[in-house]
Amino acid sequence: MELINFDNAATTFPKPPSVIRAAQEAAQTLGGNAGRGGHALALRSSEAVFSARETVAELFGAEPENVVFALNCTHALNLAIHGIMSGGGHMIISSLEHNSAARPAAALAQEGRISLSVARVYPDPDRTVESFRRLIRRDTRAVVCTMASNVTGQILPIGRIAELCAGRGICLIADGAQACGVLEVRLSGINILCTAGHKGLYGLSGTGLLISDGRFPIKPLIQGGTGTSSASLIQPSLLPESLESGTLNIPGIMSLKAGAEFVLSKGIANIAAHEEAVCRAFLQELGGFDRVRIYRSPGADHVPIVSFNVEGIPPEKVSAALSEKGFCLRAGLHCAPLAHDTNGTKNGTVRFSPSVFSRTQDAVRLAEKIKEL
Amino acid sequence: MTYTIAAMPSYTYAVKAKRLLAAGGYPCEIKRSESSSSEGCGWEIRIGGDPRKALGLLKSRRIPFTLSGGDEEWS
Repeated sequence: MELINFDNAATTFPKPPSVIRAAQEAAQTLGGNAGRGGHALALRSSEAVFSARETVAELFGAEPENVVFALNCTHALNLAIHGIMSGGGHMIISSLEHNSAARPAAALAQEGRISLSVARVYPDPDRTVESFRRLIRRDTRAVVCTMASNVTGQILPIGRIAELCAGRGICLIADGAQACGVLEVRLSGINILCTAGHKGLYGLSGTGLLISDGRFPIKPLIQGGTGTSSASLIQPSLLPESLESGTLNIPGIMSLKAGAEFVLSKGIANIAAHEEAVCRAFLQELGGFDRVRIYRSPGADHVPIVSFNVEGIPPEKVSAALSEKGFCLRAGLHCAPLAHDTNGTKNGTVRFSPSVFSRTQDAVRLAEKIKEL
Repeated sequence: MTYTIAAMPSYTYAVKAKRLLAAGGYPCEIKRSESSSSEGCGWEIRIGGDPRKALGLLKSRRIPFTLSGGDEEWS
């Protein structure tokens, strides 16, 4: 049975051939430890990693030395949240945050190291911005905000939230996991952008990014070998090495570079347009089917994600039934309980998320199968 | 040709400096520091010819470096 992946918000699959080639070539040729030794193999790897930093920097309007390779978006968010809030203070997160941001924030608050507020997100961007504005205090150090909900795809007014933070000395940490690759994301106004490499950037699993504008020092969460200042027992403070202790995942990084190049060559607007067309076809086929409830708020903008439920059937059962027919969709809370509190979907949803490789006819076939449940 | 050595804080900054200098027409190369300084392992850039403009270029782009020697024959 052919498996059709509509769970690309978790991990895009399939990957572009160039991504697979890049990882394979890296495993075959980039055997040196980047940034460490001075021999030819190490230098070859070091050059390749820097080149990957340049590609990512070009995509997001950053400087290559401020591009930090991480294991995934969760890792990047933990680096950012712990690193920025190490001195304590007040932090605000949105009510649509994934646990990748909400849990490190909650852990710091539970330990009494920071105070934490949750800004409710509304379909109306004005109300959302006001929600953040009201929570800002004199000791607010950081705002953590997803750029698009991983549950419903709702796009948050990150530019306006950035304006709130700018001038108040508040560090804006943006979670771009569902936005990068389908929205034109630039670092402008965002102080630290965290994202996955394996979602909209089409890299392999085990890749993530923390991209800084360099304005806020980030205290390292882990310490270790960086290939620099090795006589000192004190972790160096310069990015990117300060946050990259230990040997890098070079095949993963090269796959991420190839993925970013793929996105640049396809064009983000073209990728988004294709995925939106697939979503429209899916929604159109489900239109008029009373037993399906779609969680998209009028007045809000969305990335190409559709959350839904089928009346009388738990989301996990819907997902299991669709899986038996070859359609791969994620069900449950999507690691975002705050978002479900906000949306009134405490029992979870089923999530449809296409990629640039998804076909409209598959989305229509999926909708037909849903109607048969 | 003589050269000047600029010690770099990391390989990342060494490559950034090298690309910037190369684009500006300044001959340079990255080397692993030959002797570990008090800082430990490190990287350096060897810049050929009169270094004043080249070093000025690095400063203008806020690339951190420390002058660590030079004036030997470029090989």
